[in-house]
Amino acid sequence: MIRRFAYADRRYILSGVNEPTFLILTALAGESMHGYAVIEDVEHMTGGRVRLRAGTLYAALDRLRGEGLIEVDREEVVQSRLRRYYRLTGAGEQSLEAESARLRAQATLAEGRLRARRTNFGGATA
Amino acid sequence: MTEIRYRRLLALYPRHFRQEYGDEMLGVLMADPRPGAAQAFDVVRGAIAAHLRLMVTGQSRAARTVAIFGAMLLFAVALRRLMPELRALQLYPEYAQPVEPATWARLAGWGVALVAAYLGWRLLGAVGATVGLAGEIAAPARFYLETPATVLYAYWLIVAAVIVLIAGLVAAGRGGPEPRGLPWVAAAGTLLIAQGSFYPRALSLFGTVLFLAAAVLVAVAVFQQEPEIRARLLCWAAPVIVTVPLVQWGFGGLIKYNMGHPDSLQLISPLQWAVLVLVPLAAFAGVSVLSRRDIPGLTTSRR
Repeated sequence: MIRRFAYADRRYILSGVNEPTFLILTALAGESMHGYAVIEDVEHMTGGRVRLRAGTLYAALDRLRGEGLIEVDREEVVQSRLRRYYRLTGAGEQSLEAESARLRAQATLAEGRLRARRTNFGGATA
Repeated sequence: MTEIRYRRLLALYPRHFRQEYGDEMLGVLMADPRPGAAQAFDVVRGAIAAHLRLMVTGQSRAARTVAIFGAMLLFAVALRRLMPELRALQLYPEYAQPVEPATWARLAGWGVALVAAYLGWRLLGAVGATVGLAGEIAAPARFYLETPATVLYAYWLIVAAVIVLIAGLVAAGRGGPEPRGLPWVAAAGTLLIAQGSFYPRALSLFGTVLFLAAAVLVAVAVFQQEPEIRARLLCWAAPVIVTVPLVQWGFGGLIKYNMGHPDSLQLISPLQWAVLVLVPLAAFAGVSVLSRRDIPGLTTSRR
């Protein structure tokens, strides 16, 4: 089931997806944000577990722009410094949707296996 | 960390990345309350990654052109070498040596690599190019212990074969557009075959003219590419081009010594082998960096 899904929707699966990329897309799915707001939102979403740094963030933003998954929404100058807001594109939305579905399917599978394990072993845990 | 220090760290990024994101990154770095070594390390790591990405980004289209053009020219060179042997077999069957299996393998390998590169079949292309490369190595290697210069003189072909093999592996897959200038390269290949078959350069001035005309046709094909593809073609060609002066001047002494002392032959030393491998690699990296320095509007991943 999972394999069939993976092949059918392969074109929407993010290439070389990692957690920061997934989280950045998720942050931008809510509203357009500038770089530092993305860092804060990711930290908030993960309960402080993931706090992106500037080098990692802009490498990911540049790659996602190159892949057409995000784009610049607007720019403003704050304290004589450029602030650029990024937003998700249609392709980015589809990619995030497909990646979410893939993760959900994997999580469902893992939960099913764990349930079966508990049933088989009468609730005993090793 | 102060703004000046962050600016120094950001200077490590490629120029176009810096122009695109430098100001924003500086704002984020200054707003981030986490100073220190980890922040600096992350910026340096990002700069290295940006340079590496810049080196490989957009190569797949150029690589497809390299794989098709390269396989076509190597096929022509293989056929050019085979034709005189076939003619000799036809004219003097009692004296001529039969064609070596490696010669046939080389021709077949490049033929397969060419068709596969055109159709975008990477696996088949890799198989064909590997066979072709093996043929390019086997042909001069047979004479290595008698005349090491044979390997040196054929070294540009071996490097070209490696380049075509790698280009085929990273080339854009099926459905890629036909590269510009393909008829010009096909014409160049035809001239090379005609020159090798009927007008050997050692015997005919017209042969040299045909050879130069083929080089001009290839140059025309390269000139017809878009500027950024042309710059990348130069990167791929650099390792092959650099082997000519490398062998000429770097190994001239060895070749001359062996010509004068057939009784005490000097083979290529491990250090010299290392030079033969590293110089083409350095040429690729060097031209790759230089070709990106002044291309206006070339951002890190927009191409």
